[in-house]
Amino acid sequence: MTTQFDHIYHGLNPNVGKFRVAASGMAWRAEEMDTTVAISGPDIKWAQWLRVARNFQLRVGLKDRKRETFDGFMREDHDKVAGLMKQHFGITLETKDVTFKGWNWGVADVQGQDLAFLVSNKTAFELPLQQVANSNIAGRTEVSLEFAPSDQKPSKRAPDEMVEIRFYIPGTTTKGGRTSEDGSQ
Amino acid sequence: GTGGKEGKAWKRFQSYKGEIALPKEVESLRIYVDRKTQTVILPVYGFAVPFHINTIKNVSKNDEGDYTYLRINFQTPGQLAGKKEDTPFEDPDASFIRSMSYRSADGHRFDAIAKQITDLKKEINKREQQRKEMAD
Repeated sequence: MTTQFDHIYHGLNPNVGKFRVAASGMAWRAEEMDTTVAISGPDIKWAQWLRVARNFQLRVGLKDRKRETFDGFMREDHDKVAGLMKQHFGITLETKDVTFKGWNWGVADVQGQDLAFLVSNKTAFELPLQQVANSNIAGRTEVSLEFAPSDQKPSKRAPDEMVEIRFYIPGTTTKGGRTSEDGSQ
Repeated sequence: GTGGKEGKAWKRFQSYKGEIALPKEVESLRIYVDRKTQTVILPVYGFAVPFHINTIKNVSKNDEGDYTYLRINFQTPGQLAGKKEDTPFEDPDASFIRSMSYRSADGHRFDAIAKQITDLKKEINKREQQRKEMAD
């Protein structure tokens, strides 16, 4: 038996599609393009549920440490998705807590392939380190990360593109020698 | 140790108590100014990340080729400007986001967003000033 969810996004892709789950695995197909993402059941190791911009995200961890994300689920879909993960793949859908406090201070923590920014021990956002094109340390307490710009043609309809973030990390001043003088990579 | 006798060290503020309160507009993955909650919501790799206006110092904008760039500067310690009592430093060991920069091909929208943020900041500063005058 296959269960289908409509109006689901894959990754940061702007195209909506249909998401299907069955005993054999899960698949996403774009509505207006010939793009398909298929994951076979035995490859699925874990699943997480978290609030993102496009409603809720189902994040699936795969056996080769890769992961896939699907956005656009509704709050009410949680129990259904949790049931399907359990029934078909024998895994528990974990909820990842996201904070919306609106604070700009917290803890920056490398978690796998991401730099997570945590506020009161909850995730505020994650930055994929693979997307970092350049990083710099200025004045020992400031770290900047520049992101590789998309190769899409400029479009007024495109989402806003983050190009740089700067952190102030006061802790690095006290321990001399731990921070390299020119942190450029 | 500058807590102050009057207990005005840090005034607590919060944008949203939970995800349910996020405005629908965040779905577009574009910057959104929510006047009701005095919050600017930034898209970060799929996340909708709110920043209360109290955390924002100012914005700057510049045009370069096909794109307009918007930079949001935040209040952080270690900056010369700003009065100590106004800085939201609950945890002195924390890391801070100092700035975030975005680009868009829609310069008019970024003009509008920069204005909305600046106006909101002015409004809050004015209100704070009035509050202080009342207190004196």
